[in-house]
Amino acid sequence: MSAAVVYVGDDSALTDVAEAIAADWAALGVRGSFLARNLDTGEQLGFGVQELTPLASVAKVPLALVVLDRIAAGDLDPGHPVTLDPARTSVGPTGLAAFRHAATVAVGDLLLSMLSVSDNAAADALLDLVPVAEVDARLRAWGCGELRMRHRMNHMYECAAGAAGNDFSLALELAIRDDGTDRQTIETLDPACANSGSAAALVELLRRVWCDEISAPAATDELRRLMGLQVFTQRLASELRADTLRWSGKTGTFLHLRHEIGVVEAASGDRVAIAALSRTGRRAGVAADVDWAIGVAGRSAFEALRR
Amino acid sequence: MDLLAHLDAYVATADEASFSRAADRLGIAQPLLSRRIKTLEDHFGGLLFDRSRRQITTTELGVLLLPYARDVLDRAQRLRQVAETAGRGRVRAVGVPAHCAPAALARAIRAGTERGVTLGVRELPPPERLSGLSDGSLAYALVRVPPEQGALRVPLGVATAPDTADLPLGGSRRVLHLEELRPRRARGGRPAAALPVLTLPEDHVPYHEDRLERAAARAGLPPGRFRPAGPAAAALAETLAGRALLLCAEPFARQNGADWLPLADRSLHRGYEVRAAPARCGTAAVPGWLAGLLASAVGATGHGAAGGAGGPRAGAAAADDVPVRLAARG
Repeated sequence: MSAAVVYVGDDSALTDVAEAIAADWAALGVRGSFLARNLDTGEQLGFGVQELTPLASVAKVPLALVVLDRIAAGDLDPGHPVTLDPARTSVGPTGLAAFRHAATVAVGDLLLSMLSVSDNAAADALLDLVPVAEVDARLRAWGCGELRMRHRMNHMYECAAGAAGNDFSLALELAIRDDGTDRQTIETLDPACANSGSAAALVELLRRVWCDEISAPAATDELRRLMGLQVFTQRLASELRADTLRWSGKTGTFLHLRHEIGVVEAASGDRVAIAALSRTGRRAGVAADVDWAIGVAGRSAFEALRR
Repeated sequence: MDLLAHLDAYVATADEASFSRAADRLGIAQPLLSRRIKTLEDHFGGLLFDRSRRQITTTELGVLLLPYARDVLDRAQRLRQVAETAGRGRVRAVGVPAHCAPAALARAIRAGTERGVTLGVRELPPPERLSGLSDGSLAYALVRVPPEQGALRVPLGVATAPDTADLPLGGSRRVLHLEELRPRRARGGRPAAALPVLTLPEDHVPYHEDRLERAAARAGLPPGRFRPAGPAAAALAETLAGRALLLCAEPFARQNGADWLPLADRSLHRGYEVRAAPARCGTAAVPGWLAGLLASAVGATGHGAAGGAGGPRAGAAAADDVPVRLAARG
């Protein structure tokens, strides 16, 4: 991590907002990057936007786009049934990963489960159909900047359990100890080995999805719809909940990482894409005040950027 | 023959020039005094007093031996004094935590005096109580140990100004859970500013601070919520003014007019053990009477290990499906 945080802001008022968010985060022991951009005016604010970060479940968004691109191209049938054996599915607390009995689900619904409840088993089942290397190649072909896909979702669990032997506290301790150093005991926390990206690359991806400037309109439209079905509301959504606002997002949580990306669309027409990628030294699996600080950051950025 | 008693009779009679006054001075009967002098005269082989006149006088031998007899008595007297100073007079230092109950400490000091042991009480922070035992400056000390290992447990709790609205102190509940210290979202929007929780030097023990930090993080508290307090009086003033909470034992809070609730997690309480300085040969034992009185002085409620949950509990959170916690989540 670079020592000095670089602030982004198109005028001094926006830079002030970025600095206030960074100060709020620092007061809670939160580090990381943040970027919010008005999709129509292009105005933006943030900090640490080029910093490479392991994406955790946020990587399911580019994965979904590549799968939807294959569907739009007619290479993959969204109704194609996939049978998952619970003995061999990826580890996770939600969706098919938590199933205890065999289930057959169509590709299109695997996408739903992956994006709405962050289903690791659904994501890895999709990676069986569209291999990791192919997803990565597609992202590069699209020119998605530093956005990289390098491993299946379950690889994160395997690396953490391999290093810490199923001891969550120890894994968290290792993650916190290694944070900001060159050597990561848990390999999937190393941006050079993980599914990784920067706030800048993620916000640009969201902009292209919302403006239909990537893949095919059928794919981007479906991705926007699925991201709007996310059930988690503890982070960016927490402060953007109103009948006049629509939040479409994807969270990512792994050990000391707490992320979310998404787009808020107001009834007034304003559209702001946000990427919040955070790390803390907190030795806790749940940190409600950190989640909420991310939510507060998203709201203040949206209010500063909307017209 | 008790030479010292006989020399006493001799010297007193020479000083008083009278058997009866000498017997009075020594508080013995005159026949006994006379017999002792007779025995001494037999022992030295000559008369010490001339009894032929109405007023007795000291003989030549009696005058010659008198300074030597006084010298023996003086030396014997000093021998007794030194022996007393060495035994009864030596102060045995006892290291105790700050804010012990003074009345209970007084009972310990008095109980020592009754047993010929002079106790000196010294208030010291935990590390110095431990090092005092090993360098010999303390004879006994109340040493901090994890509560589930120690014989004594002192409930640690949070002192607040009376009627603090920040905490759910009302109602029938008797304990405080750390989750309850999470900032509350006020109806107005911003959360009410969370009061810092001040910690006293008695709780600046590495294993305890580590436990507290982990428990606080798991309960969803931001880092830095627990802060070392300066002097106890200032910390208490901040607390009574409603600007802070103070982590302390119940007597300290109550004596100063603060409300107090114990922490529900007993692994965060104070654990103590009364230890003696290691003896030159083998281990020294702590007298039972002293251990009991020190326990009441520090406010121990009983055995640390007894009474249910001792160590960090494997609660509901820890019983989660562990592999799931290591996976990426939403």
